[in-house]
Amino acid sequence: MELATEVAGITFKNPVLTASGTFGYGREAAELYDLSLLGGVMVKGVSREPWSGNPPIRIARAPGGMLNAIGLQNPGLEHFLTVDLPFLRDYDTKVIVNVVDHDEEGFLAVVRGVDGQRGVAAIELNISCPNVADGLLFSQDPDRAAGLVAKVRQATRLPLIVKISPNVTDPVGLGRACAQAGADALSAINTVLGMAIDVERRRPVIANRTGGLSGPAVKPVGLRIVYDLARALDIPVIGMGGIESGRDALEYLMAGARAVAVGTAVFRDPLAPPRIIGELERELEAAGFASVGEAWAAANPDARRRTQDA
Amino acid sequence: MRPQDVRVVERLQPAPDCVELVLEFPQDEEPEPGQFYMLSAGDGRDTYLPRPLSFFRTFSPRRMSFLFRVVGPGTAALGRLRPRDRLQAMGPLGHGFPLPERPLRAALVGGGVGVPPLWSLGRALRQRGCEVIALIGARTRFGLLGQAELQGLGIEVRTATDDGSRGHHGPVTDLLGETGADAVVACGPEPMLRAVQAFAERTRLQDTYLALEAAMACGYGVCLGCAVERKSPDPELGAYGTYARVCREGPVFRWDEVKL
Repeated sequence: MELATEVAGITFKNPVLTASGTFGYGREAAELYDLSLLGGVMVKGVSREPWSGNPPIRIARAPGGMLNAIGLQNPGLEHFLTVDLPFLRDYDTKVIVNVVDHDEEGFLAVVRGVDGQRGVAAIELNISCPNVADGLLFSQDPDRAAGLVAKVRQATRLPLIVKISPNVTDPVGLGRACAQAGADALSAINTVLGMAIDVERRRPVIANRTGGLSGPAVKPVGLRIVYDLARALDIPVIGMGGIESGRDALEYLMAGARAVAVGTAVFRDPLAPPRIIGELERELEAAGFASVGEAWAAANPDARRRTQDA
Repeated sequence: MRPQDVRVVERLQPAPDCVELVLEFPQDEEPEPGQFYMLSAGDGRDTYLPRPLSFFRTFSPRRMSFLFRVVGPGTAALGRLRPRDRLQAMGPLGHGFPLPERPLRAALVGGGVGVPPLWSLGRALRQRGCEVIALIGARTRFGLLGQAELQGLGIEVRTATDDGSRGHHGPVTDLLGETGADAVVACGPEPMLRAVQAFAERTRLQDTYLALEAAMACGYGVCLGCAVERKSPDPELGAYGTYARVCREGPVFRWDEVKL
């Protein structure tokens, strides 16, 4: 079975990555298994300065998933470059750095800091976090998103992935604007904005009031957006949202994702990423595919046609 | 820490809304008093996230129990388990209680379902020759848990209830002053922990430790959900140091490490 897949010029040994914000910088999972098994690691969002994150309560339970409003607590660029990246460099896996900040200047500072560092395969621009005050600023307006992407494009030669929010009317329009501005790939989806209410305390469970819904409950939303992006755009998509089995991963590939990321599933099953790699191999075989490439967009004829025409 | 497939060997119901599950692990476990496990039962549709629970009693290297109140879908799924049912347990997680080098007089303060981690600690302290007194509090006498089990370790137990239906009528922390303890360890609801913090501050009893509970998704340090504010953050970490993870840096903190 050929599990290798290419996205934006990066060859992943298998199409299973870990999603940003559910994996830290790999240190904890490395106590449980060899990170070199993974196709790639999308690290926790890195901002220019250290961020405290939101006050607790940050987590709420939801049927088939969870809500979170962590607020991108992270140790900042310098700590990432001196402590976290060197740790990840020792593993044979592709490291994708999730970049976040409040404004263009901040994004560019992180991108310039990461650019040229050994062991960084790509940048994922996080313009879709619903849990910080201005997290969705760039997503709400495709022109604004494109403006940021164009500036970042000039600041680095690293492959550029833009993480797409499901909390917009037209994710395809947003993706198209990013592609035209120079994005090499898209990742979809970030969490779905939601809320939980505490009846006894008569207020939302989460201190931030709203939080992002993730887990199996959002898989249909993720599949729909990945399908639409792959159908309409020429750049590849990394699919994520509720993947907890090899079967789920295969569904995303068939919808049009070139690779997938496992997120919330690692909270319930810390070994989910390596397990899903094994399951996906069996699922591909059972479905009659000889490679990840064959499964790609198998359920999305418009997307396949578009590559044949190109 | 590792995820394990465990089996229910016994189900007890020490109070109308509380369940104690005795679980059999596939390998020998040696958790420290105060450490916890993430338990998940069912297929995850009603409640996706596993439930953090401190272990209660240990019976053999592979057998330990978990005592909890059924409060939501997660604990309800666990409470529905019967002998021979299987579930996932990830652990042991976090840092437990520091143990004294010399024998001392320790007071263990447990509120409601905060009692479980105090049993294994009480046993370890007794093995080290400590004098141990346990103060158990609850809303009513029906919520007083672990009394007989603690007494079984040779620990004196005093009780308090909010409604006065047994023991002292009032907060269990009212009883702290008369214990003459050199060390205090507490686990229970936040108002109780705040009262213990205030007691430690007033009496300058540095050896006061709190076992915290928090809403938590992963239990092993990656989700950053279980944040608790640090009292004196490491200036090297900048704003990142504002919060500690209950699951990794805790769940046991010294009284002056955290803001509740």
